[in-house]
Amino acid sequence: MRKVAIVGGGATLCGKREASWRDLTQEAGKAMFQSVGNISPKDVDSLIVGAAQPERFTFQAHVAPMVAEYLGITPKKVLARTELMCASGQAAIRYAWACVATGMADIAVAFGVEKMYMPDMAEAQTNMTCVLDREWDGVNGLSAPPFFAMTAQRHMLEFGTTKEQMALVSVKNHHYSTMNPLAHFQKEVTVEAVFKSPMVSPPLNLFDCSSMTDGAAGLILVPAEDAKKYTDTPMYIAGTGQASIGNVINNLASLTEWVPLKMAVQETLRTAKITKDDIDIAELHDCFTISEIMEYEAFGWCEKGKGGKFVEQGGPYIGGKVAVNPRGGLLGCGHPLGATAILQTLDILQQFRGEVPKGRHVKDAEIAVAHNLSGAANVHSIIAYSRGPK
Amino acid sequence: MSVKFEKIKRQDMIKFPYMLDFYPLEDEKFTRISSFFQNLKEGKLTTTKCKTCGKLFWPPKIVCPECFSENLQWIDLGVEGELYAFTEMRLGAPLGFVEDCPFCIGIVKIGGLLISARIDDAKYEELKIRDKVRLKIVELPDGRVFYRFFKTKE
Repeated sequence: MRKVAIVGGGATLCGKREASWRDLTQEAGKAMFQSVGNISPKDVDSLIVGAAQPERFTFQAHVAPMVAEYLGITPKKVLARTELMCASGQAAIRYAWACVATGMADIAVAFGVEKMYMPDMAEAQTNMTCVLDREWDGVNGLSAPPFFAMTAQRHMLEFGTTKEQMALVSVKNHHYSTMNPLAHFQKEVTVEAVFKSPMVSPPLNLFDCSSMTDGAAGLILVPAEDAKKYTDTPMYIAGTGQASIGNVINNLASLTEWVPLKMAVQETLRTAKITKDDIDIAELHDCFTISEIMEYEAFGWCEKGKGGKFVEQGGPYIGGKVAVNPRGGLLGCGHPLGATAILQTLDILQQFRGEVPKGRHVKDAEIAVAHNLSGAANVHSIIAYSRGPK
Repeated sequence: MSVKFEKIKRQDMIKFPYMLDFYPLEDEKFTRISSFFQNLKEGKLTTTKCKTCGKLFWPPKIVCPECFSENLQWIDLGVEGELYAFTEMRLGAPLGFVEDCPFCIGIVKIGGLLISARIDDAKYEELKIRDKVRLKIVELPDGRVFYRFFKTKE
């Protein structure tokens, strides 16, 4: 297995964009290729496209060759699309990495794109309600907000987590996204503003929830030994972990303890040969405020049930125990499903390079992780990155 | 040369297509667990249990995922459940449920299982964890059926 490096990447502005799926693809493709001077589309031999629901959101299947065509890529080795709902982009990175690591590919693009704004919001919500098992959970109206609302309700009951503590996650991530020019939301929010935002699914208000967002992004992966040919500042894939338990509500390991996340964390630490305390930056999947609280616990940065206290005490801020979501998170940046993991990873690259605004720059960061959950938090995917080749 | 413009006809509305309908096709022409829906029509919420290894599953299956036996039996889960968690859909309902908003959704403990379901006849503020709920069968205009629960008076 070869070591693999990411040598560049680019992204669109995220938000409610006056642009089509195809437009977003082209914007991100151009930004990606412009980030690396000496790789042209014709040099790319493999393309993996993370896209959660193009069949629904833009009524288009077989999107991988379409992206290749728009980007001027003629894949000669590997071409595929990955779907793992909210982790679709991370699946694209994992497979692009695996292809380069095994020698199946030499220069691979991991791309992610989602166009979520449709003329009819209820139709977009329909797409989001066939993610959990449609015939047994979706049929009861169980899209993400009601599912995570019940998760929050049980966490509050079992561990005493409060709505204020949950709101603090939103306050933190919106604070960092004010310094991210690609973010969907670039305004500060307060605890009071979270409480006053419309109730989506109690106890979750609108600002407890990440949004529907349009966006696209891409990364270029090469063998580590070639990385310096393309940039002085590559970053390296250090390790990865993924685990999944059950799918319908009855078969989840637990509503309030994400066992598959704990497994994925251990596997990531093992494969990257690091400890949780080595992690300087954690781009975690804050699809809802309660998610990030439970993720602090699963990573072991605080005791089980104490995630709310952890954010209250400043643990996940820059300068705290670990900088969680200095990009602005899904709460601040939006959540264009297939693009999300690519955007997280691109921001880690820019953090390592010192290319992010000072107020959200994590100085001297060496190790970072990007995490995505998907579905009923039954699936957790993590990749660890290092600034140096280790 | 002038360019010809023409308005073409298209139907304004299409019938609610099956692939946007959350309720499953329950007829035996489309599923091998049509007995589940037949049982619902008789007022019984059931699931499958493996006769070979004894494993009880939710949702009902046609092959035991533990031992691959197809020798399964239908088990009646009863009509009384207990609320394990609940919330209310206030914003963001999908097509077909928009007109029901707001509506309560819960996770119900019943027959040793935890299953999600609509919770009828109560507002969010009126529900508590561990409330007793009772099975209810709803019938769609086309004759298909599905299960829900409702809050019983103490």
